[in-house]
Amino acid sequence: MAVIGAFCVSVNKEICINARMPGKCATCAEVCPHDVYGLDGFSGEVNVHNFNACVGCRICAEFCPTNAIRINPAEPEYLTRYPWTFAAIEEVHYKAQTGEYLLRGFGTHGQTPNFDMITVVPSQIASPAPLDKYREECDMSLTIGEDTCEKPITLRLPFVWPAMSFGALSREAKMALAIGAAMSGIATNTGEGGLVPEEAWLARGYSDKEMTHKKWEPGGYLVIQWSTGRWGVSADYLNAGDAVEVKIGQGAKPGMGGHLLGAKVTEEVARVRGIPVGSDALSPCRYYDVQSLEDMKHMVAFLRDVTNYQVPILFKLGPSRPYADVAACIEAGADAISLDGMVGGTGCSPDIVTQGVGIPTIACLPPAVQALKDHGVHRKVKLIALGGIRNGLEAFKAMAMGADAVGFGSAAQVAMGCRVCYACQKGNCPYGITSQRPEMRARLDPAEAGKRLANFIHACAEELKIVTMLSGHKSIREVSTEDLRAMDLNTAALTGLKLCGYERPLPFWEEALHPGAGNGNGHKSP
Amino acid sequence: MKTVDAKDKDLRDVSREVKTSLDGQAVTIKNSIQLHGLAAGLKKGEVVVKGDAGDYLGVLNDGATIIGTANVGNYIADNMTAGTVVVTGNAGFGAAQYCYGGTVIVRGDAGDFTATMNKGATIIVCGDVGDDVGTYMLKGDLIVVGNAGENFANCLIRGNVFIGGQWKSLGHNTRVEPLTEEDKARLRACFDTYEIDADPATLKKIVAASEKPFYH
Repeated sequence: MAVIGAFCVSVNKEICINARMPGKCATCAEVCPHDVYGLDGFSGEVNVHNFNACVGCRICAEFCPTNAIRINPAEPEYLTRYPWTFAAIEEVHYKAQTGEYLLRGFGTHGQTPNFDMITVVPSQIASPAPLDKYREECDMSLTIGEDTCEKPITLRLPFVWPAMSFGALSREAKMALAIGAAMSGIATNTGEGGLVPEEAWLARGYSDKEMTHKKWEPGGYLVIQWSTGRWGVSADYLNAGDAVEVKIGQGAKPGMGGHLLGAKVTEEVARVRGIPVGSDALSPCRYYDVQSLEDMKHMVAFLRDVTNYQVPILFKLGPSRPYADVAACIEAGADAISLDGMVGGTGCSPDIVTQGVGIPTIACLPPAVQALKDHGVHRKVKLIALGGIRNGLEAFKAMAMGADAVGFGSAAQVAMGCRVCYACQKGNCPYGITSQRPEMRARLDPAEAGKRLANFIHACAEELKIVTMLSGHKSIREVSTEDLRAMDLNTAALTGLKLCGYERPLPFWEEALHPGAGNGNGHKSP
Repeated sequence: MKTVDAKDKDLRDVSREVKTSLDGQAVTIKNSIQLHGLAAGLKKGEVVVKGDAGDYLGVLNDGATIIGTANVGNYIADNMTAGTVVVTGNAGFGAAQYCYGGTVIVRGDAGDFTATMNKGATIIVCGDVGDDVGTYMLKGDLIVVGNAGENFANCLIRGNVFIGGQWKSLGHNTRVEPLTEEDKARLRACFDTYEIDADPATLKKIVAASEKPFYH
């Protein structure tokens, strides 16, 4: 059924194999995650029997051996029929028929405030002068936990793969992320679904369990996630990585825990998560073993103790009240905080939550940075921005707004081949990224996908370097909000950035940004 | 038996002493009520905590035997994977949550949300328990010899819950089933092993009404 919007599916019958030889090809019907195509079991004919269900992912077009399929938006419905767009009508029909609310995967779609309306201010004749990207160096490394643990991690580039669980992703996708991290010198993250054994050595760049054969340089890091569901968690699990991340929330469904439907809890997933095969793995929305900030401090203390004070402790937040939440993480003892904006991805979530709950990434950053500054730990407790970041330019903008690093979650899936069909929860991903079905998983080669991920990171790093140096900086740590301008009033209002042309923050921000005049965004100092 | 005095020491120092001392002998810790997360993630040995203990005692226990000789704070044996944790007195809020294996015995009463998300451990409370005990249990056994509060075994997914006394209310997705002979034999063996004075035949058994209670 259509939950996204209406698209026109057209098939060129002159070149379609099935149209000429029914039964010889049904690729479109096989790969479509939304049953747009119907296969007649008797005649072998394939027809577009449910074109209303098309979400425009174009997987069918990509797989079609003769390039016979075209997908086009049906009409600008938001202009002509809002609020009763086709998607809205279909949604009501679905609920009326089934009594169920909609679940879907991936993340928010449609317009939300984003980085696009922020522009970068290049250096010209006024100081600082731009630097030569081809000849001069640009430091982009980042260390987490230098003063708090025995083994801080130093990322070669200020990027991470955010938490994506085994179960939501296939084993092959998890392995690819680990290889991509190793090839790029960045960190991958177990997510909340336990540890795929291979991740432990692949992330460090080794091809064998004993870690004797280093295959991928320079090698990366593995972040172990500790979450409310505690899937597959043990003392050994915590000690298998280079950092521990305490998950508080995530961008796609802040205030809710993870959902892994029983259909994706295969024998292998069940073994890693330590639960029965086929059981729904629902993470609680909060920690049942934490009732106060004091408890959270104790939790951080015992996590440090169990890991023998070796590794940094990270926190992951959803987009709620960034100032207060970041302040709480600082008090709890975080070495770094991943802050996921509402456009962040998920394997499965109620549609209304993904679409209508949370704060956009660009609006999360200013109060989060202010909290770090008010506690005197900005650039010491590292801030990792997550949520819909797609390239090096957006990474630069997030870092200039005060983040120390960024994560590419949804973009990593796309780099592996994903076409964004919003059906991750079904387990039928034709690219083998979010499927647990062997025949789908076989389509994803971890080494090849790992190389694609490393290529993507390399390209983003080059973009980040270009923009950093044209702004006159030799280190990513030098960039600031002075390197950015908002291009419209909304963005200036949300971010406190100077407005293009006006060359100042909007008046209420100017007041808030001056010392002694409050701390921005209406939040009180702790 | 080696004794560690925790007075005026922090968790890191006490933990180091305990881990160093555990090699081949039992360790007694005294004056530790101010420390939370004591005896975390141990794989072997025996730790006896004299007097009342703080929160998170035996968290992530992975094979050790941990004995609290008096009352313990909240979240005892949190996320345990193996081993045994015994509390002679009462346990606070959220005892034995997120456990994957091993055995937890509370000889007194235990607080709300005890045995939440149990994924395979045997959890025995000889006294009464509070509200929402056994919430989201996925696997393993929860045995309450006394009474339970509201929402007992709430949102039970899988596993077995036994109770000797009464409950104020049963949680969602629960069904009372008669004890089988196998259940009785298992409970008898358990009670004999841990010297619990109770008659298995008087217990009631609660199981999940559906194994897929939440989503279509």
